[in-house]
Amino acid sequence: MSAETKPLPIIEVLNLKKRYGLIQALKGISFSVGKGEIIGFLGPNGAGKSTTLKILSGLIPADSGEAKVCGVDLAEEGGEVRNHIGFLPENNPLPEELRVIEYLHFRAMLKGLRGSRKRDRIRIALDICDLERKVSERKIGNLSKGYRQRVGIADALLTEPRLVILDEPTIGLDPRQSAVTRKMMERLRGEVTFLLSSHILSEVEACCDRMIILSHGQIVTEGTLNELQEEFINRTIFEVIALTDRMSLQKSVREIDQTCELLQDEPVDVSGKKRFIFSTEKGEVVAEAILRYLVKIPDLRVFEFQIERPDLETIFLRATKKNWEENDLLGKRSRRFKIE
Amino acid sequence: MTQGYWVILRTEIFSLFISPATYVSTFYFLALLGVGFRFFIESFPATNWILPPLSSLALGLLFGAPALIPFLTMRTIAEERRLGTLETLMTAPVDAVSIIAGKWSASYFFYLLICCGAYSYPLLVCIIFPSQAESLGFLKPEHWIGGFVFLMSFGASFCAIGIFSSSITRNQMVAGMLSFSLITLYLAIMAFSYGEPTKIDEFRSYDDLFAMVGGSLHRGLDKIQFFALGVLHIPTILHQLIVVFFFLSLAKLQVEKIRH
Repeated sequence: MSAETKPLPIIEVLNLKKRYGLIQALKGISFSVGKGEIIGFLGPNGAGKSTTLKILSGLIPADSGEAKVCGVDLAEEGGEVRNHIGFLPENNPLPEELRVIEYLHFRAMLKGLRGSRKRDRIRIALDICDLERKVSERKIGNLSKGYRQRVGIADALLTEPRLVILDEPTIGLDPRQSAVTRKMMERLRGEVTFLLSSHILSEVEACCDRMIILSHGQIVTEGTLNELQEEFINRTIFEVIALTDRMSLQKSVREIDQTCELLQDEPVDVSGKKRFIFSTEKGEVVAEAILRYLVKIPDLRVFEFQIERPDLETIFLRATKKNWEENDLLGKRSRRFKIE
Repeated sequence: MTQGYWVILRTEIFSLFISPATYVSTFYFLALLGVGFRFFIESFPATNWILPPLSSLALGLLFGAPALIPFLTMRTIAEERRLGTLETLMTAPVDAVSIIAGKWSASYFFYLLICCGAYSYPLLVCIIFPSQAESLGFLKPEHWIGGFVFLMSFGASFCAIGIFSSSITRNQMVAGMLSFSLITLYLAIMAFSYGEPTKIDEFRSYDDLFAMVGGSLHRGLDKIQFFALGVLHIPTILHQLIVVFFFLSLAKLQVEKIRH
């Protein structure tokens, strides 16, 4: 696609800064999100995720920088762009005394929906969030946490938003309830852009197209899971389950790759067989070549071979650890400077 | 943004109608007022009350307001702040002015409904005992209109004070007590202010300064004598509008703080 015909990104953030008193919550972050993408917004507590999401939902202004949603600068618009944004805030505060249906009617009217369109959108939102009629007649104060989250998500989806921002949507939910949220995102994949902040990394890994990792108010990395795996894990780990001794297996492996290392001193017993874990710097292609070579040697009796891909948790820890160390170093430097 | 105002107004009125606290306070307030009014009109011929007897109802409502208004306003913003729903509300295309104006209008509307309830007592007297009503001057429409406009103008400012009190705390009990204290203080200033308002060029001492600042409050409650006879005292109405604007502006600033 050429530059002229490329559609406008749904979110464009440029050098966004926000300070709360002495704390610099955002130190100039920039990113963009395209139409229909599901983005995982990750970071340790206090990284600036919720601040970014609040700015993008129009709830708070940034100190400087640009935040555009659907091509409209949030600092300059009069509130209409908020009709295109669905926002589920952290903790999802809801009025306890209203019934679900009353609350959704109230929110729909606040968002400018009227008449049959209002009724239709409420019905669709209830359907997407699996809120059956019986539940919609109940008072919000009497609902379980899972149902309350669904009510919040139904509210976020009322106006056919182009962007839905979900701040910790599955926190404190059981796996069944979390699955409903994932199902909802899958159902709207491609039509709606989702910006999902979560600490449940397996969930982000399962449903997000791309991840943005924040730490200390800065973006430490962003990309697809494969891109992040390549960026942060530069060694390929593979395991071999065989009926042989350590020395002969290692010798055979080194015939293909001299740099390959056995990671354990003693292999682990797995139902009478032995599991060996190796690591190579030469990538998956070499790991596969090793496998092909090992199966040709009958004495080794190889039963299983598996190339392990690092999960998002490992990437998250490495990405944020790097940033933590940098910040710590800066702190040490400044302390050292003071002593000198 | 006006759509936000009407939606909030509707929802707030609905919340007031489903709140048991509103019903309980309204019932006790109207019951006490009714009993007081009955004894007043019974003993009226023996008193040296110079104003039309209908004005006693307006004064009863006015002095009862510090106890009544907090029940109508204390929940409005304090509860939203406690639950965090004010934040959710701000994510919709609605501004702080619509939120404050909507909540104030709903409380004010309910206050006016209570005033209408109170005015049903003399109306019942007119229907059931027309001759006594005539002798008490209940059949003069200007007395009704004047008294009601008096209550409307003071009720507007009391509700604004209540909304402001609710906007500065997350605890509705604190909001209620603050609202009670501020309205009582405001009534006390109007009831006990005396002397002619000082002109700026006559300012000589701190007493003069106080008199100048409080000039518009000067014998504020005495203005009932105009309203009771059906004369609409425009400076009093304007003064109350300024109070409404002042307290609602403060409440708006308070709500906007959530955005920063």
